[in-house]
Amino acid sequence: MRIELLEKIEGEAFLKFQKDKKIITDVKVIFPHYRGIEEILRGRNPWDALVINPRICGICGHAHLQATAMVLESIFQITITQKAQKIREITRFCEIIQNHIKWFYLVIFHELGILYDFTKVHHLIITINKLLALFSGQWPHSSYCVIGGVTCDPTSFEIYQAKTLIRQIKDQFIQLIGELHDPLNLTNDLQKLYHTLQEKELLLVGKSHDRFITFSQDSHVSNIKLLHGQKRKTKLTLIEENEQKRSYAKNVTYNGKYYETGPLARLMQQTDPFIRYFHRRFKDSITTRIIARIYEVSLLIEKIIDHLATIDLSQPSVVESKMQDGTAIISIEAARGSLIHQATIHQGKIETYNIITPTQWNLSNGTSQNPSVIQKAIIGTSDEKIANLIFRSFDICSVCTTH
Amino acid sequence: MKAKIIWLQGVTCNGNSHSFLNLPSLASLLQQFEFLYHPLFPSPLQLMDLHTADFDILVVEGGLKQGWKKGDKDLYELFFHLAQKAKKIVAVGSCAVFGGVFKEFDPTITGVLFDKTKKSKLYEHFFNKTVNIPGCPAHPEWIAFAIENDSFSLDEYHRPKEIFAFTVHSGCTRNEYFEWKVDAKSFGTKEGCLFYEQGCQAPFTHGSCNRILWNEINSKTRSGTPCFGCTEPTFPKTGLFHTKTYMGIPANMPLGVPKRAYLTITGIAKSFQIPRLTRKLIDEN
Repeated sequence: MRIELLEKIEGEAFLKFQKDKKIITDVKVIFPHYRGIEEILRGRNPWDALVINPRICGICGHAHLQATAMVLESIFQITITQKAQKIREITRFCEIIQNHIKWFYLVIFHELGILYDFTKVHHLIITINKLLALFSGQWPHSSYCVIGGVTCDPTSFEIYQAKTLIRQIKDQFIQLIGELHDPLNLTNDLQKLYHTLQEKELLLVGKSHDRFITFSQDSHVSNIKLLHGQKRKTKLTLIEENEQKRSYAKNVTYNGKYYETGPLARLMQQTDPFIRYFHRRFKDSITTRIIARIYEVSLLIEKIIDHLATIDLSQPSVVESKMQDGTAIISIEAARGSLIHQATIHQGKIETYNIITPTQWNLSNGTSQNPSVIQKAIIGTSDEKIANLIFRSFDICSVCTTH
Repeated sequence: MKAKIIWLQGVTCNGNSHSFLNLPSLASLLQQFEFLYHPLFPSPLQLMDLHTADFDILVVEGGLKQGWKKGDKDLYELFFHLAQKAKKIVAVGSCAVFGGVFKEFDPTITGVLFDKTKKSKLYEHFFNKTVNIPGCPAHPEWIAFAIENDSFSLDEYHRPKEIFAFTVHSGCTRNEYFEWKVDAKSFGTKEGCLFYEQGCQAPFTHGSCNRILWNEINSKTRSGTPCFGCTEPTFPKTGLFHTKTYMGIPANMPLGVPKRAYLTITGIAKSFQIPRLTRKLIDEN
């Protein structure tokens, strides 16, 4: 057995490899930390969770903020306005986009040794976060989503600013990644990625169960699982979460099975020919997984453009809410997949709070009879550098997992 | 030669690392400084190599805790070793400065020099070379200032007065409403001050959020969110969206303002009705 430290995954994890001669026969992922967010929330006023929960994660704290607002709105039986809904999606999609860009260059290009223009990439990241902060006040760690809506009250001037920024983002993105219309005609940095994977004979590595799951519903996705090519609606009540020995991360399964969540899962439920093309050729290998994540950026940019064109500013930003006791469970899409928050409010205080993060789905530790998504993807690999790349293709978030 | 930096993470959410990545002038900073280790962007060293590295500046993000694993080392020991070697220590974010949000779960977590308002065990060792940049997260330009600059005017919590002598209230676009004591009726409005009902701590929180804008464009209070006092040792308080009052008077006065002065001015301001400030800024059709 060999233990390796995996770092720069928004924190760290230890990987325990079992090998037979050179071939990896098993891997277990150990997260050594726990920061006690769910304990900190206990006994607090529910509103405080809107400030505490973004601090779960520096890169997807905004998804945690919106998950918190949603689970509390579900308990208090509040429906927010279309305006608040659209603003929330715009900022959450921005967070997903900046995450994907950072991961594509700082992690994947770095790992594969592909050169890139840091200044251009950095400028794109800054522009996305600026659009996000135009509504949310700041990124990271905004608390602008509150129970009942959003705190900002934009005029058509802010919408004009946002439209200008999203045009710049789209132009910069295309300049870097290339146009994404034809999978047979990749250009720019996406072409570089493809050629590098091809040269290094990595196009087909990292295949897993080819099973995908999403629990959220928004303008981009539905709550759907894909098993043997069959689509079925998913229910949050069928999720099982189990503690593990020696790791603070809990295992999660759906109906006893491990599923991949994330951009590839989100795009596989759509009939998008671009991703279908890569899936047909390479199944759920790192190629399809990486391309799905960067391709999703182009779809989300179009969603933002659409929302900015159709937002009705005459609606209220916030609807009135009254606290009541109860329990709810919700899901929202974060950059890495379905994020689940569950809360119970009793006598006006948080009694319990439970969070299941996307990385828990992808990096659970299964058994040899029932391997998890990551285990299935890694087992059989002989080169640890390749194993490392396969890990990173899932865009792991250690801090989220060790909330 | 470029000055060498190690960016060490303790008990953290990575928020300061990502905040720093928003620095517009990052490329020019990287021409003067080299990150031997940064948790996000490519850097030559691995965590395991830090122990033996030669460097100049230690940036610390996150709280310190004994028994917290950092690679093959104990975080506390690794920090102590590196801090002794460093010429300058920059503590970024309220966790590294005061202990921060995760201290609510584990009281043994501390900042580098401070454990909330108290001096930590490490204070005597490192006070003369540490500059504190609190905030949850710290603003990227504040962090860059602390890295690039060598002479600061420090306050009692070792925060540069150049940033923290101001209050977050300074520069808030809602100041007219504060002056005339016009409260925001609810969240989600452009109009009204958030100090009286919504829990805004900006008038008594040290920071430059409304002078040096976030992401070059906005701030919490400008977008209608109250300031939560995240640069102070008391962060995070409880009841964060609600102003605590005693007999209708805010429990916390604006910084340095005597209660009698505040009440007098409030009484006078409230005796006037200013129609422009009590109406919507843009009339609904």
